[in-house]
Order: sequence, then C-alpha cells, then structure tokens
Amino acid sequence: MTGNVSIVIVSHSPKVAEGTADMVRQMVGEEVRLAHCGGDPDGGLGTNVGAIMEAIEAVYSPKGVAILVDLGGAETNSEMAREMLPAEKAAHVAICNAPLVEGAIMAATEASGGADLEAVRATAEEFQA
Amino acid sequence: MIRKERKVSDMHNGKLLEAAVAAIREHADELTALDQAIGDGDHGINMKRGFDALAEAAGELERLELPAALQKAGMILVMKVGGASGPLYGSLLMAMGKAAAHPPASADDVAGMLKAGIEAVKARGRSDAGAKTMLDVLIPVLQALESHPEDPCAAAVRAADDGLEATRGMLATKGRASFLGERSIGHLDPGARSSALLVHAICNVLEDS
Amino acid sequence: MTETVTGKVVITDPAGLHARPAVKLTKLAKSFASDIDIRAGEDGGWINAKSPSAVMKLKARHGTTLHVRATGADAQGGVDALVDLVKRGFG
Repeated sequence: MTGNVSIVIVSHSPKVAEGTADMVRQMVGEEVRLAHCGGDPDGGLGTNVGAIMEAIEAVYSPKGVAILVDLGGAETNSEMAREMLPAEKAAHVAICNAPLVEGAIMAATEASGGADLEAVRATAEEFQA
Repeated sequence: MIRKERKVSDMHNGKLLEAAVAAIREHADELTALDQAIGDGDHGINMKRGFDALAEAAGELERLELPAALQKAGMILVMKVGGASGPLYGSLLMAMGKAAAHPPASADDVAGMLKAGIEAVKARGRSDAGAKTMLDVLIPVLQALESHPEDPCAAAVRAADDGLEATRGMLATKGRASFLGERSIGHLDPGARSSALLVHAICNVLEDS
Repeated sequence: MTETVTGKVVITDPAGLHARPAVKLTKLAKSFASDIDIRAGEDGGWINAKSPSAVMKLKARHGTTLHVRATGADAQGGVDALVDLVKRGFG
C-alpha cells in the first residue's frame, strides 16, 4: 500500500474546521492529504452528512482516512457518512475519539511518516494535553 | 402498472407526510425553545429544514411504496437536518422502511417496524431508555402498540405523552444536554417532544382513515 | 551487530520544545529507519522520538539538554539530524 493515511476534519463551525486544517498544514506540511468541512446545510453551526461524505471522497485512499470531530453531532454524522459509503471504502475510514485540533495535529504527524490507519487513530487518541 | 394496493398506500404516504410536516413546522419554535434550555438551540430549525426537504420531495415520496418511501425520507433527513437528529431520525425511518416488507396491515406490523427503527436509533445514538432522549417516547409507544392491539392509536398517543412528560425529571446523559448534568432536570427533552409530535400526527391520520 | 549511537544538545529555542518543533522533530525522526529515543535532561525517561504524542508531552524547556539515542542501520544519521534540528532552533 502506497501513500499516507488522509485526514478529514469535521467541526460544527466552518471557521474552526478551516482553522484546524490550516494549523495542520502549517505544522505538519503537505505530505498528508487533508479535507475539512463544517456548518449545517444552510451555513449555520452544525455538521452535515453530505459534506462529510464529500470530504472523505475528496481525500480517500485505500491506505485509510482518519476523521477528527468536535462535538456529539459531528461524531454521529461522521458515523452516518461512513456507513453510507460503499462498504469497501467504509472499512478504511476511522473516526478518532480525540480532541479536534490536537488530534488532527497528532494524526497528521503520525500519518506523514507512512503509519497505517490503526496507528494514526491510536496516536490521535492517546494524546491528552 | 399501478396496482390497487399501491394506490391505497400512495394516499397514506401523502397524508402521513403532510401531517408530519405540518406538525414540525407548527412547532418548530417550541422545539427550538426547548433546545435552547438544555441543548444547542437548533432542534426546531434543524427539524424544520429536514421536514421542509421532505415536503419538497412529496411528489416523489407519494409515488413510492411505504418501505421505499420511508427509506428515501430517512435519507433526506440524514442529508438535510444538520444536527445529530438527522442521523437519528434518518436511521429510524430507514430501519422502519427496511422492516416494512409490505404495506402494514395491523398494529403488529407497525410495532415490528417501530421496533426495528428503535434498534437503529439506539445503535446510532449509543443510547437507551432513560437517557432523556427521543427513545423515551418511542419505546413506550412501541410497548403500547404491543400491549393494546385493539386500540393502538389511542394507546400510542397516551404513551407518547406520558413518555414525553417523564423526560422532564430525567438527567440527560446523551448529547449536548448531558453537559448540563443536574441542570438538565426539569426540562422536557426536545427530541422526545418532536417524536411525540410525530406520533400524534401519524396517529391522527391513521385514526381518520 | 547494531550499535547504539547517542548524542545530546541544549535546547536554545526560547520557547523550548513547543508544539511546532515537537511535530518537526517527530517527522524528522520518522524519516529514519532506526529506533530513536529522546529524553529531557539526565533524569527524564526515554521516549520514542517517532511518537507525536510522547514528544508533544515531553514539554522540554529552554536550556534543557536533550539526549538522543538511536539503534539501527542509519542510527548515526538519525542522531545527527535530530541534534542539528535542535541546534538550528528548529528552523
């Protein structure tokens, strides 16, 4: 398997999602493919399954996609989005139980070294500042 | 190509949908107010967005048989609602649609569908009865359908109202309301309220038909 | 026979081994095949330099001596590269 695990950032706020993605880009660099989404279908605070699915598809790799989420609905909607993908893709998508910003940095750093999806998820989840 | 039983279910789909949409639209502000007390204050807005989308798709939904219509409606809610209630209500309807192999003929059939729907909501929300959620309405409604097949609508509506009222005294352990801890006690759960509204709307249509 | 190579360097960056340098150090360590550990000061425990969360949690301050040890085919290169990164102030 070539390439690195990709990262998807899902926040209730489009600005938080964008800012987190920006931090990952600046701190970790360009080796990891990264997508972000946030906001409800009308642009308010919230998360939306369609946008999460698009974000996953945009950076999908058989190596894996690690999703970082902020609060409750972001996780529920991400799980829903994963389940609505074709099963062979869904198997390579993991939702990390980690704080959004810290988890995204940790996951991307781990992913940049070529780690597999399980290692990327574990790294994001073990970090407690 | 239109078979007779299909026409019957067409009529139901349309009426059920219309009643559900009307209930959510009329009570959107109330749902939002309830959610402002213990959640993030968007339940009414989100549900209205989702049910407006259902209304827009009414033409298509009415043409489908009930199982397909429910699954399609669930998918629309998943994509349109925005909050966690999208996947929760979406999973409920999709699972009910999948469990409804034929147009339901008896309270037992409806109970079977609802049971499948409830299991999907439990799995999606990793929750169960007593956590101050929509399940605290849906589960008693299911029990009412199972134990009162002779008068399912009246029993379901009563169970929905009692279940909703019972959420007032519950401590929220799921969703945003759980951040409030003890302070969530004393408020109705907005998701339970929207579920009760839908039970009322659907039972009204079924009783009239 | 694999030999363990060691090195040390004083952290001169005024903010110490803060978040961004921690990521840089981890990424650099990951680019070597050898096992690489670091520790802050004489008394700190060795941690895996390739673990983003372990390095981030190290929170080594300005003035601390960072010890590096590596085992593997490119151990010397790894130690040199990490020492150099810290010397450069993570630039």
